[in-house]
Amino acid sequence: MIQKSVILNFPRKLVDEPLVSRVIRDCDVEVNILQASVTPEEDGHMFVIFKGEPANIGRALDFLKERGVRAILPVKNLVRDEERCVHCGACVGQCASAAFTIDKDTCQVVFDPDRCIACELCIPACGYGAVESVSDHLKRTGEAS
Amino acid sequence: MSKTFEEINERIRKGEAVVVTAQEMKDIVADKGAKEAARRVDVVTTATFGPMCSSGALINVGHPSPRIKMSRATLNGVPAYAGLAAVDVYLGATALPEDDPRNAVFPGAFTYGGGHVIEDLVSGKEVILKASGYGTDCYPRREIETAVSLKTVNSATLMNPRNGYQNYNVAVNTGAERPIYTYLGLLRPRMANANYCSAGQLSPLLNDPHYRTIGIGTRIFLGGGVGYVFFPGTQHAPCGPRAENGVPRGGAATMALVGDLRGMSPRYLRGVSIAGYGVSLAVGVGIPIPILDEEMAVFTSVRDGDIFAPVVDYGKAYPENTGEIIGHVSYAELRSGAIEIAGRRVRTAGLSSYARAREIAAELKTWIARGRFLLGQPVERLPGAESGVVLRKLEVRR
Repeated sequence: MIQKSVILNFPRKLVDEPLVSRVIRDCDVEVNILQASVTPEEDGHMFVIFKGEPANIGRALDFLKERGVRAILPVKNLVRDEERCVHCGACVGQCASAAFTIDKDTCQVVFDPDRCIACELCIPACGYGAVESVSDHLKRTGEAS
Repeated sequence: MSKTFEEINERIRKGEAVVVTAQEMKDIVADKGAKEAARRVDVVTTATFGPMCSSGALINVGHPSPRIKMSRATLNGVPAYAGLAAVDVYLGATALPEDDPRNAVFPGAFTYGGGHVIEDLVSGKEVILKASGYGTDCYPRREIETAVSLKTVNSATLMNPRNGYQNYNVAVNTGAERPIYTYLGLLRPRMANANYCSAGQLSPLLNDPHYRTIGIGTRIFLGGGVGYVFFPGTQHAPCGPRAENGVPRGGAATMALVGDLRGMSPRYLRGVSIAGYGVSLAVGVGIPIPILDEEMAVFTSVRDGDIFAPVVDYGKAYPENTGEIIGHVSYAELRSGAIEIAGRRVRTAGLSSYARAREIAAELKTWIARGRFLLGQPVERLPGAESGVVLRKLEVRR
């Protein structure tokens, strides 16, 4: 059994669907909802902890992705939003532990969670909101909806 | 032997044009030589993606009934300039809501501003227009509040007075006391890091250093759609020092760019929040360079190692506008992750996305290769190194 904290962003058309029930029932994953903002006609946001066998959590994430839910997996209190990242490398210059580096072939920013020491210097360096603390991310997405 | 714009366009129409990215061109010239490269290649695509503060959108929101002559207007709370005709507004990329705390608690976060409104619009979102006017016989309405989007407005034109700087400063902070928050990012004291912002060897004007092909009327990739160079940009200063290869050794030419916001994409038009500084708009620009002759093949073969940028102290020399330069470093050094200044190794970071610039160059290459995009021959050239155009300083005269 493992635990994984996950941020789920639902497009508004999915708000009526009982997705969490399906995750529990069909994927055999326990869901602990720490924060949720799900209102009719608005995009929904949820911060949850999935508990279960790794394969089942993988199935749950695949299922959610297939339904159009965007799942973000925070690492050491950091939320890296791949869609917001433009791969400029501003974070790389502030990252003393070399968790953020630029891949020589693709020129893209890559993040190695194992090297991250959670100093959070990358957060103010990022102009695109692609790295945020979990609490800032939840606050921002909560406000936007 | 040389080619004309018209001949190249004819080949594009027929789907016969040989189009390569600036990255690919470096290797072709190294392999085959400039003469052979000029014979084989018709077009080289260049690109850049980074924050460009001198950007904005000119929007005609349409006339309500009864009509209003807007003298103050905001979009999602961000003030737009309304000193134009009745329902025209210009929304600048760096504009901030009146109630943004700015740097009251330093460094300010600047979470939302003009650049973000533009990103929201190109994302297809509705934004709230609030406007007031003083009321006239022909424009009696005094207030309006409604939602607008790219679907509802008459026109939305991205109109950027200064984009695509030909080369730029590398910023450091030589001060001993505190980190500084600049438009070139966070600079730690005692020159602990250096930030730069250029696509270097991929950047449009660095591949056409004397503006032989990029001029007024050049058709370009702008923010994911089609745009044009409509004038030299503000602060266009082509007369500064140049290296032997013709490439300026610091900020030089700039371009004013224009294009229909409809058809652009948030992938290439992004609001940016720069801590302690403000907001901006990251703009993706791609420019095709026709290989008219051997000289253009040589120009487009320029590599990061042959392009030098000035290192400037943003703790003192920049804010005080002294013009002092610490030294020059090449983009090859900058992109290696560390430079050497005054015998010290300093870590570097780019604020311009090389990855996205490559993507834009590849995208534009596809457009042209498929015959979807023809080259625009300039109707007028940008002022060049011989023009005498210099950057003037503002004198304080009383």
